[in-house]
Amino acid sequence: MHSDKLKQTVGLVLLAALALANHSCNVVSSNEEFFGSTTPPARNIFRYVTGDEPETLDPTISNGQPEARIYLGLYEGLVEYNPKTLAPEPALAERWHINNDASEFTFHLRNTGRWSNGDPIDANDFVYSFRRALKKETASKNASMAFYLKYGQAYYEQRVFVRDPKTAQFLLAKDFDPNSPPEPLSGSPIDTAKSEYLPDSKETTPDPDSAFHHQMHTPTRLTLPGDEKKRNKSLDADPKLKQAVAGKEFVPIKPEDIGVEAVNKYMLRISLSQPAPFFLGLLAHQVFRIVPRNVVEKYGDQWAHAEHIVTCGPFKVKLWKPYDQLVLERDPMYWDAANVKLDEIYFYPILDNSTAMNMYKVGELDALYNHAVPNPWVHIIKTKKDYMDKGEAAIDYLIINTTKFPLNNPKVRKAFNLSIDKDAYANWRRIVKPLNGFMPEGMFPGYPQPKPEPFNPAEARRLLGEAGYPVSQNADGSWSCPKFPSDQVEFVFNTQAQNRSFAEWMQAQWKQNLGITVGLRNMEWKTFLDAKAKLDFKGFMRGAWGADYMDPFTFLSLFYTGADSGTGWQDPKYVAMLDEANRTLDHQKRYDLLAKAEAYMIEQQPIIPLDTPSVNWLKKPYVKGMYPNPGSLYPWKYVYIERDQAKWDYSTPSLTAE
Amino acid sequence: MLRFIVRRLLITIPTILVVISITWVLIKLAPGNFYSGEKVLSPAVEKTIREKYGLDKPWYQQYGKTMWTIVRHLDFGTSLKYEGQSVNTIIKRSLPVSATIGILAYLLALVVGITAGSLAALKQNSKWDYTSMALAMLGISVPNFVLGPILVLIFSLGLYWVPPSRWEGFPSRNLILPVLTLSAVYMAYIARLTRAGMLEVLRSDYIRTARAKGLRERDVVLKHALRGGLMPVVSYTGPALAFLLTGTVVVERIFALPGLGNYFIQASLNRDEPLIIGIVAFIAITLLLMNLLVDIAYAYLDPRVRYQ
Repeated sequence: MHSDKLKQTVGLVLLAALALANHSCNVVSSNEEFFGSTTPPARNIFRYVTGDEPETLDPTISNGQPEARIYLGLYEGLVEYNPKTLAPEPALAERWHINNDASEFTFHLRNTGRWSNGDPIDANDFVYSFRRALKKETASKNASMAFYLKYGQAYYEQRVFVRDPKTAQFLLAKDFDPNSPPEPLSGSPIDTAKSEYLPDSKETTPDPDSAFHHQMHTPTRLTLPGDEKKRNKSLDADPKLKQAVAGKEFVPIKPEDIGVEAVNKYMLRISLSQPAPFFLGLLAHQVFRIVPRNVVEKYGDQWAHAEHIVTCGPFKVKLWKPYDQLVLERDPMYWDAANVKLDEIYFYPILDNSTAMNMYKVGELDALYNHAVPNPWVHIIKTKKDYMDKGEAAIDYLIINTTKFPLNNPKVRKAFNLSIDKDAYANWRRIVKPLNGFMPEGMFPGYPQPKPEPFNPAEARRLLGEAGYPVSQNADGSWSCPKFPSDQVEFVFNTQAQNRSFAEWMQAQWKQNLGITVGLRNMEWKTFLDAKAKLDFKGFMRGAWGADYMDPFTFLSLFYTGADSGTGWQDPKYVAMLDEANRTLDHQKRYDLLAKAEAYMIEQQPIIPLDTPSVNWLKKPYVKGMYPNPGSLYPWKYVYIERDQAKWDYSTPSLTAE
Repeated sequence: MLRFIVRRLLITIPTILVVISITWVLIKLAPGNFYSGEKVLSPAVEKTIREKYGLDKPWYQQYGKTMWTIVRHLDFGTSLKYEGQSVNTIIKRSLPVSATIGILAYLLALVVGITAGSLAALKQNSKWDYTSMALAMLGISVPNFVLGPILVLIFSLGLYWVPPSRWEGFPSRNLILPVLTLSAVYMAYIARLTRAGMLEVLRSDYIRTARAKGLRERDVVLKHALRGGLMPVVSYTGPALAFLLTGTVVVERIFALPGLGNYFIQASLNRDEPLIIGIVAFIAITLLLMNLLVDIAYAYLDPRVRYQ
């Protein structure tokens, strides 16, 4: 009797579960053209998910992605990203010219720039903001991006110049470092650099000269640590230097020494310590967007709170309820306010992708952030007309700890690379393209992408044999590699459902093609980052990199200093190759040299390239002026709500100029 | 009674300090830092940030400073992640959200749970009993991270009755799904506890006495049985209320609510030390106070319980 009741109950429960499952299938796989509602909002507003809650609205401090997208509405810099290509376009600077080796930049500011409180914007605002970004106390997480400015890093690290009190001459860096690179044009005497700038028909009068300009054009001065203990240590290590410094005075580097100058009210000159052809693109980055001096100085770390904040972008803060919503409204003070189309932007911090998808479906969001579509949903969502499908300036790869046995042997690293079928991997992932180098395929037109050898398991087995781990075939056709110390190699990934399946995929490839079983280990995100930074892992780690600016150097610089890559691989020859490329003025020659450096690095195999992802998000068809560009950065001033259905987007919008 | 309360309150203080200390140690043991991210900071920048937040000091100095500001000023400091936002402000701002959802869910769970549980006990082995207990079993077994999305699927995406998520204040239709999701487990437990408690009490001598002296069945149940039958429920709901008030990680995340639970999980993932300590301390205090309330309620409900 009792068990009958139980059976009945269980039956009922199962029935209910089935009904629910059936219902869920109906909802997801409905044959609509678009994913959910396509009714535009009643007002000219745009509702978007930021992902995580913004850590601050101060553009100088944060290096986060959610923040970067918000800052595009609130702040402007000298240049702004093109919404399709991300190429730098005039913003607060109307025009500019760059000297012949891209080490000195002169910007002409528009005189109509205003802060949201109505104060005018001039060159001094840029000087203040750049110096603040490099001030140690600001603790900007992006400060290193501004290290390209002459003496920028030295000021940040609170170093000192060395001056002879009698002659008032400063000691020069080149006298003490035989390896110091040649001075860029920005550091060469002005007189010998008459032809410093390409002839430009738009410039009728030469730029005004100044004492500061002359000072910048003197050879780079020697700098020493500001801290006495550290300074003495480095002096003790170099007797020649110690002798030269004896009797000299130490002059702390001041903010006024940094290579940024307000030539006049609407002219800004930036001097770099090295040629940097990519620097103009970098200037659209948040760290180079300006902050209001009087407000910052008045309110300190509270200045960017809703009650005090003053901004300079197309929008200003209307309301900020942390972890709930951030509302921006059109700023009538903005110099180009007439062309800003949205009245308000709502940023919702939503951490759960399914939640964001639900809100999008019922029409409470107008677009989703990149990679918001969960992997299991992709095959359904991809068929919808509001799915954004375009290449992304990003790469996925495996990091190898090159400092630990047995992967300290390049042959072993190569074998592991050659035994992964990247085409098959890309097919399985659905939203990625196979990658063999270290540069997103086709992202930089004219870049001669190196083509390393693709999938070749036979060669992989041969290489392993050469390294002392012969691979033999078993009777059933499978492979085994008994000598390989597989307990010394692991695959480490950060805890996330889809990362595990990616790891299992790699594991299967190595097992199939090499007969080696690599253990899997998952780690919580911060633990993972810590292990990566300390090289405290054996074997492989999941790695990914997205472009900071649209130039191949943003990827290649990952191995410029060893710390960033997590591989422990560092090679002075590679660094020299990159330096040489960046000193090269000809665009195509520079690309050729960068590609050569890339090929050299890939040959050493500190990483295993896997794929180039595509962007993976949704946008309602009535949202116009928002493009699936490779960096997923959207200048909000161009975005608008289109009410005429004939003008809607019925597919991924094109990124080529119309 | 008063002495009992004062003594319990006094014990609370060292307990909280121990809780804070353990939390502090656990945070220090966890690998990683609040500033670590996919983009590695340059060594110079990392050094600056460590100095700014005193992470370069020896551990006893860091510990001493943390404890001193808490004890001296009742100040948990400023969040490491959210520039210039004090922990006290964050708690003050997010508590009302969690508390609104929590109290509503609590009331719903009590009303439905006790009604269903009593009904099941009074009509034992009837179809009422089986239905409510089957539902209760379902409520206990289905975790809220499953129940929440299913409710959203049916009532928001399928029927378009209620919004799928987000906080729109009180009252609003946005509250319906999170409150239902949150209360399900508690409802189910309360129903089962009530049923068990009532069944035991209904068989006891004093109920038999009450019936024997000719009281109406309604009075027997409401005045005598329920009072005793609810004892297990009371001891359960005290801590339950504490957890409901201080936010529930999963529900707040699924429904994108700006509550304390959401902050708690993010703070832990972000290694935001002051915020973690602040929220842990707050939850601990609430829990201890709720337990005290339960003990007081015991004395009121059960004449046999006396505190000296």
